[in-house]
Amino acid sequence: MLIEFELIEKAKNGDDGAFNQVVQAYRKRILGTIARLIGKPEDVEDVGQEVFLRLYFSLDQLRAAELFEPWLYRLTVNAAYDYLRRQKRRHEHRMSDLSEQQVMMADASAGGKQQVEEDRRTKIREMVHSLLEKVSEEDRILLMMKEVEGLSLKELEKIYKVNENALKVRLFRARQRVLKAFESQE
Amino acid sequence: MERMDQDGIPGMNDDKLDALFGRYREACPDREASAGFMPHLWEQIEARRSAVSSSWFRLWAQVWLVATLAVAIVIGGILIPRFENPPAYQASYVDVLTAADSANDAVALPVGETE
Repeated sequence: MLIEFELIEKAKNGDDGAFNQVVQAYRKRILGTIARLIGKPEDVEDVGQEVFLRLYFSLDQLRAAELFEPWLYRLTVNAAYDYLRRQKRRHEHRMSDLSEQQVMMADASAGGKQQVEEDRRTKIREMVHSLLEKVSEEDRILLMMKEVEGLSLKELEKIYKVNENALKVRLFRARQRVLKAFESQE
Repeated sequence: MERMDQDGIPGMNDDKLDALFGRYREACPDREASAGFMPHLWEQIEARRSAVSSSWFRLWAQVWLVATLAVAIVIGGILIPRFENPPAYQASYVDVLTAADSANDAVALPVGETE
């Protein structure tokens, strides 16, 4: 936990100052998770705002402060999932839809070491995103939470409210699909 | 030792995928929010709060309107007609006394006698 349970209790009881501190403690981690889940840097803050907005208006439903992190991750997963579904409905690929990073890359005229490193990162990101396109949004997020965010099955169980065995099966299948896609790309 | 996937696809293994996910994690590090993140968040919270309170106000206003109409119907339909009924005693107290006196006089005087 990044914060004391007491702070969560205060925020839960309507203390806006405490809520502010909670957001400040978690926003970096949550924005990072969202960035990895949705893969569009320019939309990360909007999804992050939605997560904390939902947190503010649902905090009174949190049963115990100990459950705060799984609760926050659940809100994050749901907001990311909603975003990906909305994106799927729009099938537009205009210049304005290019990510900030892509635009910056396109504009960048200078080469150099930094650029080479950024190219490498972009390649990795693109590769992972194209692999994860082979699975559904639900499985994509589940796989990311497990493999990239490093959450344990116990933690995922709390977030998804599904038993461990069902999660294992789902993860295994998703991973198999990604492995096959990876093999075919190589 | 490299693990083979369930289908035994040659050249592909779980370790490579794990390594790719690890590199992806490094390529997408946690990120700082922009300076406008918190102010914008509070703006949205305030906007939703006022939307919620105005919807509560609207609901209360509707409840009060319905209650007022119900009271008006009760007053107009039941109470007003009741007050409009003729009163039990239409004559004044003096009229009643006068009428009682003249009746007594009639009894006191024997039939055929006159003063």
